[in-house]
Amino acid sequence: MFLKKEEIVDKQTEKNSRVAVLNLAGKRSDQWSLMLVSVGENRDRQAFAQLFKHFAPLLKSFAQASRHEGWFPGLSEDLVQEVMIKVWQKAAGYNPEKASATTWIYTVARNCRIDMLRRKSNTQHLPLENEDFWHEPDEETPVTLLRQKRSEEKVQASLAQLPKEQDEILRKVYLEGKSHAEASNELGLPLGTVKSRVRLALQKMQILVAPEFQDELLNDH
Amino acid sequence: MTTKLNYHPDKAMLVEFSAGTLETAPSICISAHLHFCEACRTELLSLNEIGAQLMSEATPVPVDDAALESALDAVMAVIDQPQRVETAVKDQPNKSGFPFSISKLIANAESTLTWKRLTSSVDIAQFKTGQKAFEVALHKICAGGKTPKHDHNGVEYTVVLKGSFSDERAVYKEGDFLMRQPGDVHQPMGAQNGECICLSALAAPIKLSNPLGFLMRPWLRINPM
Repeated sequence: MFLKKEEIVDKQTEKNSRVAVLNLAGKRSDQWSLMLVSVGENRDRQAFAQLFKHFAPLLKSFAQASRHEGWFPGLSEDLVQEVMIKVWQKAAGYNPEKASATTWIYTVARNCRIDMLRRKSNTQHLPLENEDFWHEPDEETPVTLLRQKRSEEKVQASLAQLPKEQDEILRKVYLEGKSHAEASNELGLPLGTVKSRVRLALQKMQILVAPEFQDELLNDH
Repeated sequence: MTTKLNYHPDKAMLVEFSAGTLETAPSICISAHLHFCEACRTELLSLNEIGAQLMSEATPVPVDDAALESALDAVMAVIDQPQRVETAVKDQPNKSGFPFSISKLIANAESTLTWKRLTSSVDIAQFKTGQKAFEVALHKICAGGKTPKHDHNGVEYTVVLKGSFSDERAVYKEGDFLMRQPGDVHQPMGAQNGECICLSALAAPIKLSNPLGFLMRPWLRINPM
């Protein structure tokens, strides 16, 4: 049973990777990414309006998925507005080789959501914003579009195939904004189990590139 | 700058970072590691795709056309205020060679970032980061300097920013990311060939192994701010 499922995923991934190679004309060609590039390069208002109409409802649903302490539904509209303003302002820095428009806009939304919460729960000036953590070093290393597209396709093809218990945790973490510790409390599972489910999900999706963590001592706490 | 590193944050921690659910202090440490680590940067591009995919698969909240138009108008109105438009994302050149987040913390501290002597071999400079869970600080170990042997009362993250140091287990170089927990006893020593600067986030004071440890008062408290 288990093996069969794995095989299906493998076949799909293989098929998708081939598609990626065939599609590889050196450029990313999905409509949203092209529009985002045009907003960045030409301050294209029409493209921006289309992006807005596509992404605003998704962003609103992302905002409403939040189960952060201190988050309330009224913040959703603010988040959509703040994210879309940032999209306009930062579009010139969008690099289609690294991420699709959807992924890039997700990162903007994630950063905004965290910063809104941190500002709410903190009266003092915060020296860092979440996007500061994501600042690229000056001498940036090029990523190949091919590699990125492959990994996107792996995520797309395999996310839906994950066992429910792994999918559930990824949703809690990415959509609800729960830490692993919070997820472990809510699900009544040891923290180590939550973390190993996360790691298993990553292995299944085959998106790991960095070497494994060296220190076994530090694993399951 | 980018070299092959031996010590990385664990995958589950990278997932929390990618989802934005990691606390501020460990996030600062991850961002410092990323400055040196191409492998983890690349991995995070993929981890971000998980979030993007989950976001785009969610059922969009139905918004009627009129509401959508008026929300768009509101955004356009803000955009049209000229002072709000940023054309470039480039920030001031980073001369220190330190990760961006650290340079920004140093700049933010202005004259208030002060080095204090902990022992003859170790200086500390604490950062204000707006959170109370961890002390975030730079530690400077002089060439060949020894730090006291210690255990940990809470988790400790360390990233080597300059030079290298070693303990009983290994040598840690620029960019290496370490996590130490209660029960991990070690005695870091600065490399002979130059001073070592590390970023650290400490959740609780360390526990000195020396029976006279209580005499070394500055080690026995932390200062989250």
